[in-house]
Amino acid sequence: MYAVAQVDISICSATSCRLCTQYCPEANTILYDNKRKTAYIAVDRCKGCELCVGICDNIAKHRAIKMVPVTDVHDGFEMSKYGFPRNGR
Amino acid sequence: MSLATLKVAPGFMPYMPKEYQDLVEKGPYGRQVKVSELGTFKEILEEHPMCAGCAMTLFIRLSMIGFPNPEHTIILGTAGCGRLALTQASIPFVYGNYCDTNAVASGLKRGLEIRFPNQKKDVVVMAGDGGLADIGFAHVMHSWFRKEKFTTIMLDNEVYGNTGGQESGMTQKGMVMKMAPLGKRFEKMDMLGLAKTAGVAYIARIAPTNPNRVVSTVRKAVMVAREIGPSFIQAYTSCNIEYAIPTPKVLDDARQVEKDRYGFLEIMTDEAKAYLEQIEPKKGAKAKEVAE
Ligand SMILES: Cc1ncc(C[n+]2csc(CCOP(=O)(O)OP(=O)(O)O)c2C)c(N)n1
Ligand code: SF4
Repeated sequence: MYAVAQVDISICSATSCRLCTQYCPEANTILYDNKRKTAYIAVDRCKGCELCVGICDNIAKHRAIKMVPVTDVHDGFEMSKYGFPRNGR
Repeated sequence: MSLATLKVAPGFMPYMPKEYQDLVEKGPYGRQVKVSELGTFKEILEEHPMCAGCAMTLFIRLSMIGFPNPEHTIILGTAGCGRLALTQASIPFVYGNYCDTNAVASGLKRGLEIRFPNQKKDVVVMAGDGGLADIGFAHVMHSWFRKEKFTTIMLDNEVYGNTGGQESGMTQKGMVMKMAPLGKRFEKMDMLGLAKTAGVAYIARIAPTNPNRVVSTVRKAVMVAREIGPSFIQAYTSCNIEYAIPTPKVLDDARQVEKDRYGFLEIMTDEAKAYLEQIEPKKGAKAKEVAE
């Protein structure tokens, strides 16, 4: 079992922060939806490093990202299934 | 690879892999993407097998945003961790032998200038500290002495990461590594000083603590190499495996190391400085600057 990042959309969308998208070491893994104004995770790309949690908690001070067991993710976005999202999610 | 080269005949598009279609339709080509746009366009870098939370991965990802013209860029790499990601990008990658990256880059750049007289092609070497400061050292130095016009980026994780923890010339004195059990006996090499002595036009030392700064530094280095002369970036890109840094702490480590000994530093020739001021007139980078 491994953990992946999950963004609490209600917290994130109240900000226009985007900081985690800039510090994630992986390409196109934390995506940003301009319509819903929130970051969200491509679950199949997240390696679970937790760097984004530190950025969101300590630098952005929003505490919007938590690590969750991958089996607890419901309706997560998977890049390999859908490809790069065209108009937000 | 230019967007025109990337595009396939319309009839073929539905049969191309999703990743490929995404690049053509949502890729960063033909415009200068900004760091704040990350997450909203298809990046040139794909999935790759580098370790979770590796700072080198972050640096490589940001560098690819920094390339001023990714569709006309060629990367030269070699054995070492970085190539695991560099090979998974929509930028042609030439795999040099472990040591000869800067010799191959010299020939490649000269060849490209002859083959494409009307299109500037940017050549960028990206390799580890072992690849550049140890075994490739002579080739690196001579490419600088010859004033070859390409960029050398050292992914300085201060260890041979890919082969499991041997000391490199860039490892700090006293550091105990898996395969340096007594601790390293010599000082970290002063590659910045050597670059300055060799007359490199733009030299920078950076840690990946500020994405915008990584992007602008890479952009400056590539632009100077295009017009003025060789450029060199020495980037702290910690190996969380060999230095046992828990991945959530990778950026804390980078910030601490930056504060203690790896602060942002730019050294450039008067010519490079004048050129950069001309292309980016209002930008005043807050680096300690040493004009020659
Ligand atoms: C001529 C030659 N010698 C040795 C090797 C074995 N080798 C592969 S990767 C590597 C170390 C890479 O260290 P570094 O360049 O610092 O990059 P890192 O993996 O730390 O990013 C070595 C010694 C090789 N591939 N070729
Ligand atoms: S071994 Fe070290 S440098 Fe190589 S990918 Fe893993 S963390 Fe990065």
